[in-house]
Amino acid sequence: MSIVQVSGEGQRRTFDGSQVQSIAEQVFSAMIDDDPSALVLWAGVFPALDDPLEAWVDLTGPWTGRVALTTERATAHDLSRALLGMSPDEPVDDGDVVDAFGEVANVVGGNVKTLLTEVGRLGLPQVAPSAPPMAGNVLHELRMAWRGRPLNIVVTAAE
Amino acid sequence: MTLTTDSFEFVADLVRRRSAIQLEAGKEYLVESRLAPLARRAGLGIDEFVRAVRAAPSEHERDLVVEALTTNETSWFRDGAPFVALHQHIVPALTAELAPRRLRVWSAACSTGQEPYSIAMTLQDALPPQTEADILATDLSEQVLARARAGRYSQLEVDRGLPAAMRARHFQADGAEWRISDELRASVRFLRHNLLDASPAGQGFDLVFLRNVLIYFDVATKQQILARMHRVLRPGGFLVLGAAETTIGVDDDWERLPLGRGSVYRPRGAASDPPPWPATVPTPFGSGAPR
Amino acid sequence: MRALVIDDSRTMRRIVTRILEPLGFEVAEAADGQQALDLLVGGLEVDLACVDWNMPVMDGLTFVTQVRANREWRGITLMMVTTESEQGQIVRALAAGAHEYLVKPFTPLEFEEKLALLGLLPVGGAR
Repeated sequence: MSIVQVSGEGQRRTFDGSQVQSIAEQVFSAMIDDDPSALVLWAGVFPALDDPLEAWVDLTGPWTGRVALTTERATAHDLSRALLGMSPDEPVDDGDVVDAFGEVANVVGGNVKTLLTEVGRLGLPQVAPSAPPMAGNVLHELRMAWRGRPLNIVVTAAE
Repeated sequence: MTLTTDSFEFVADLVRRRSAIQLEAGKEYLVESRLAPLARRAGLGIDEFVRAVRAAPSEHERDLVVEALTTNETSWFRDGAPFVALHQHIVPALTAELAPRRLRVWSAACSTGQEPYSIAMTLQDALPPQTEADILATDLSEQVLARARAGRYSQLEVDRGLPAAMRARHFQADGAEWRISDELRASVRFLRHNLLDASPAGQGFDLVFLRNVLIYFDVATKQQILARMHRVLRPGGFLVLGAAETTIGVDDDWERLPLGRGSVYRPRGAASDPPPWPATVPTPFGSGAPR
Repeated sequence: MRALVIDDSRTMRRIVTRILEPLGFEVAEAADGQQALDLLVGGLEVDLACVDWNMPVMDGLTFVTQVRANREWRGITLMMVTTESEQGQIVRALAAGAHEYLVKPFTPLEFEEKLALLGLLPVGGAR
């Protein structure tokens, strides 16, 4: 658990990183899997991601930062199929994946925003092999396994 | 969209083996109403759905069926109609002729607290000045009572059936969860209680909510529980049952009062005549949207 | 009944449409508030609009405000469907004229329960 003092203009809140996991679990069990055991903490050494894809939303306002999800492209494809209610062998195009994976980041990010500040604004979700770098501190990094495959969730506070 | 005997027996047997809950013949309505949302999501009729579950190779579908039939429903303002009745009819009837007083309310089998807190939210708006309410909420499980007392709900739990205005008024973010206001939390007293045991707080209740509990019991047990509720309610008090439940054909000591989409019950053989029933026409719950 | 689903994510439009259609709704879609307004101005009649908050071009709060400013559209029930979950945001949306507010993530059951609150769930459920 990481507990960090997050300071903004005139407000100070305690950011409890363990809540990010609970948010991710809720998002996945409500929208992607009926089965809450589909998303769990990664056990053991977290592997290097092969052909990664990152989906992120930036938060602006008194508190500025980013919530980002990273996984392997093949996993992002499966995640998109699951979210869209498609069968596992149905083809998804890159546009579908960008939209679906981005929406997962949007929903996770929107709920993380509640942990951070009352007045921040949520940017539109973006998806790329990797997000442009942001100078700041990692508030919380969550290494998860979705259906046994690596999925990384990082909350960053901008400097 | 009805269930064949064969399908019903499959579900009853599955639920009996997994949960010890008895679904005797005659409980088809219960199975149908609980499985309807699952069937709808699968795009199937109810019987088709049960046949698909029987044919499914994995246990997952069976687990969903057992869960749908055994978990306590945890929506706010569940079924709507009883809370409209509470606001528009029950509170006016209970407070019509009596001087300022305290109403005594019992939410039996309250699970994680959505029912007693929904009652508390309704009473906050419905009670006349200088009238207060003591709300007692009981359940058999200490585990659900601990959650109810904490008054903290996940994002998914807090939105279930809760009007947005009520959510904004009564809930504050608390980490990734939502916490009900201290005022509402303080207005409900939670106690562990088995419905087959004596009343946890004597007699003289004005109102008892006993919803979606009787459906699980055989007739003799239903009669025993209803007889107990008859004793704890004061003359002129009200009993609210679940949408699929009735005293009719089970216990004749109750008068049924049809009300909008539902019914409430009053004990017969009251020592004094109950106050007259208000004849206002109820409006459907939550028709806040202009049509 | 007819519904207009307004969200910049086509994934989310598809999820909402898949809940509404089995309930008997005819569904139209728009990717932002301006597209949705254009559809209404063009004569599209709907009973329900499900409105995301954060969208390019025109956001959901502006759309709600615009719909409420036109008496011809007062029959439209407006439900925000958004990740914005702070108490203050819910209050703002209701003050602007939204009738209900559903926070993402949601399950199909939660969605149906909100429709029931709005009196928009067909009696007897699907079909």
